Amino acid sequence: MTGGAPVVFVIDDDPSVRSSLKFLLSTVGLQVDSFGSADSFLHKEPPDVPSCLVLDVRMPGLSGLDFQHELATRHIHIPIVFITGHGDIPMTVRAMKAGAVEFLTKPFRDQDLLDAVRVALERDRARREQEKEVVDLQRRYDSLTSREQQVISMLVSGMLNKQIAGQLGTAESTVKVQRSRAMEKMHAESLVDLVRMIEKIKGPSEKAS
Amino acid sequence: MTVETHGARESSEQLDLRTLIEKIPALVLCALPDGSVEFVNRAWQEYTGCSPQQLSGWVWQTTIHPDDVDQFIDEWTGALAAGKPFQSEARIRRTDGQYRWFLIRKALTVTPTHRSESSLRTLIACEDINERKEAEVKLHESEILLEAFFENSPNLIFVKDRQGQYLYANKEFKKAFHVTDEIKGKTDDELFSAEQAAAFQAVDRQVLAGVPTKYEDVALYEDGQHSRIVQKFPLFNAEGEIYSIGGVVTDITERKQEESARRYTEERHRLVLETANDAVVSIDESSVILFANPATMRIFGYDSTELIGKPLTVLMPEFLRKLHENGFRRYLATGQRHINWQGTELAGLRKNGQEFPVEVSFGELTRDGHKVFTGFIRDISERKQAEDRLRASERTLRQLTETIPQMLWSAEADGAIDYCNQRVLDYTGLPAEQVHGAGWMKTVHPDDIEKMARAWTAAVSTGEPFQYEFRCLRAADRAYRWCISGALPLRDEKGRVMKWFGSVVDLHDWKEAQQALQMTQVELARVSRLTTMGELAASIAHEVNQPLTAVTNNGNACLRLHAAGNLEPEVLRRVLEEIVADGTRASAVIGRIRAFIKKKPAEKNELPINDVIEEVLALAGREIYENRILLEPQLTTALPLVLADRVQLQQVLLNLIMNSVEAMTPVTDRPRLLGVQTRVDESGDVLVAVRDSGTGFGLEKDRVFTPFFTTKANGMGMGLSISRSLVENHGGRLWATSNSPHGAVFCFTLPAAGRSAS
Repeated sequence: MTGGAPVVFVIDDDPSVRSSLKFLLSTVGLQVDSFGSADSFLHKEPPDVPSCLVLDVRMPGLSGLDFQHELATRHIHIPIVFITGHGDIPMTVRAMKAGAVEFLTKPFRDQDLLDAVRVALERDRARREQEKEVVDLQRRYDSLTSREQQVISMLVSGMLNKQIAGQLGTAESTVKVQRSRAMEKMHAESLVDLVRMIEKIKGPSEKAS
Repeated sequence: MTVETHGARESSEQLDLRTLIEKIPALVLCALPDGSVEFVNRAWQEYTGCSPQQLSGWVWQTTIHPDDVDQFIDEWTGALAAGKPFQSEARIRRTDGQYRWFLIRKALTVTPTHRSESSLRTLIACEDINERKEAEVKLHESEILLEAFFENSPNLIFVKDRQGQYLYANKEFKKAFHVTDEIKGKTDDELFSAEQAAAFQAVDRQVLAGVPTKYEDVALYEDGQHSRIVQKFPLFNAEGEIYSIGGVVTDITERKQEESARRYTEERHRLVLETANDAVVSIDESSVILFANPATMRIFGYDSTELIGKPLTVLMPEFLRKLHENGFRRYLATGQRHINWQGTELAGLRKNGQEFPVEVSFGELTRDGHKVFTGFIRDISERKQAEDRLRASERTLRQLTETIPQMLWSAEADGAIDYCNQRVLDYTGLPAEQVHGAGWMKTVHPDDIEKMARAWTAAVSTGEPFQYEFRCLRAADRAYRWCISGALPLRDEKGRVMKWFGSVVDLHDWKEAQQALQMTQVELARVSRLTTMGELAASIAHEVNQPLTAVTNNGNACLRLHAAGNLEPEVLRRVLEEIVADGTRASAVIGRIRAFIKKKPAEKNELPINDVIEEVLALAGREIYENRILLEPQLTTALPLVLADRVQLQQVLLNLIMNSVEAMTPVTDRPRLLGVQTRVDESGDVLVAVRDSGTGFGLEKDRVFTPFFTTKANGMGMGLSISRSLVENHGGRLWATSNSPHGAVFCFTLPAAGRSAS
């Protein structure tokens, strides 16, 4: 678990909506930081704690949906709970497809909002943990020699020691040594474990490309 | 004989003197030296018829004419006493009492031989010279007469000798050339200029050659140039030789001038005749054409000389010929005219046989005992046709006014009705005399009478066109029906109103239809408003839901705190305040929308347009805000009020503003500017302009007001069309222009309230 109290960011151009949301969320002990516009939110350095956005769809300037897209292109993976005064189905579908946690129509039941915020925060925390694991694995992977990394990637692709030695032009015993050293450095308990780790490292980067 | 007598003196001294004397056939008397008469001879006695006694002594002198006697006696006594020769002329009375002239002269002195000295005798002979004397007197009289003629002649008369010296010139001659001195002996060279004199002398030389000459010349007189006829002729003496030149000069200057004047007059008359549009024809007493001017040829179609010598009747249609001949004959015989001689309308006959109306005037003139008649003939076919047309047109017009399915009327300049057509009478069920004057007011609805009478009086006094809608009582159903009456003034050339012509139209049915249409339009407008509301639905929902969300959140939060026993009074108070504020806010939004879409009849009030604009901007505010449009209001303060229905005005404004917002939504490369401007335009109307920096019209500017034309995915295409009709119903205009450099401007005007009423 990553430390620090989670924060809920509220973005709504209406001050009384903003303040009522803050009041409501505070009753369940959540820390709330509110903004009048999406731009002012972007100007703020996000804290390294689980957080989520409660975002009004209809806003001057960037609309909520546009803002969601903008965040994605900036690789800011903060979960979003949309609230709208007048939502329609296409808008909801678009928001959900883009990864929104929930799409609430104003005025909403307080429990719905609180649940959505809770889900969002949980999702963010999970994402943050996952991200942290990948960062660890990457650091371990980076500590391997380039020959060790070559051997591992050949192993993960399903090649046998003898095949790897043949391709690299070394002895099979050398491959074995390099393999066990790399497994040790990666804290992998088995070949299966190693494959899972490499997928975690490569996966997101492949998706991002 | 006297000489013989004188010669016999010496030889006959001895003769008895008395016997001698007696023998002399002439009248002889013997006088004594004292002048008394001793005796007279028998011839004396016989001539005078007196006795010797009566003729002796001094008595004989009684036979001498009383006018001559005194002079005679003076000479007689003087001569005898002096013994001088004696000769005198005197008239002596004859026995019949008539005086005859005698030359009385001393013939012989006889000295007696045997008697005393006193016996010296003088023989006096008397010769009858009466005939010579009378001839002399006659000649003298004739000379006086001639001179009188010459001197009083208006002609210049003169006589010059062969050398050119003047022998005589009459008074007129001297006057003409201002010769004051004696002219005798002068020559032309002395009297005239060298040139003039040479001219005169040249003629003189011809005359001296024996040729009488007559010629016209021009000579310079004392008072200027004169035209003259000069006659010069030679004068012959008894021997048949030319001894002088006579001249008579006739001044024809005046005659020349008169002639020229006459020629001018004649020329002028000729010109008038030649160029006259009317035919001018002269006939003689037998009705034969003597003269016809060019117009005659033109009007009647004859060649220029063809008519001369023809009877006048060729110019008349058959039916007039006999009448003319009879009337003409009667006039010549009796002097009685059978038709008017001035401007009589008759018929003419052209050469081609066509009859046509003419207007004829005659004149009569007697020349050399014969009458000449001149006719002036005017072709009045066109006038006649025009008159006929006018009459026909009047008839048509009258029929038109009576048969037209329209109520027509006319009024005097003072506004009193003087004519109504049958439709008016049918409609009102009143006889004409009851409608005339101000009678028409009986048919007007009591509520309308006063205002309508005032409007009519105003029109009559200003001459402005009249128009008024009023309720008129229709006789057929005894119902008041809406009518409109209008009238225009007829003015004379000075612009004064002479008459009014008006009409009345029953527009009751039309008006009802109009009202129904208006209801439809109101409904349509409302539908359109609802549509606009639909377009606004998202932002309206948002605007309502925002405060409701705040209320709900605040309420829920309080409940949560309360459930946890954690609700502090201070927090509760603050939250409740917010709840009240948000609730109020939500209801204000709902109120605005309700007012906008409420179904109620149009109601015009005097409104400040800026307030209406503020209301609409409140309705559309969210839309403007969310679309990041910069609102630039330019509302002129102190605008006149407009007479308008508030909701309809809001609708127009909202429609224009929403269109602008929508037009700017796709714009990303420039500011989105929405300008809302109010001001008073040039004609005093209130003008509202909504300006945007949107996509503009492209090619569709002209079509935006067409119903069902739309550029929006969900648009009905009625917004601008309805907006325009709403504005026009308020007496205004709505139009669109392009904005520079981008976008569109929609403007509409509304009459200022004070003015729209008029």
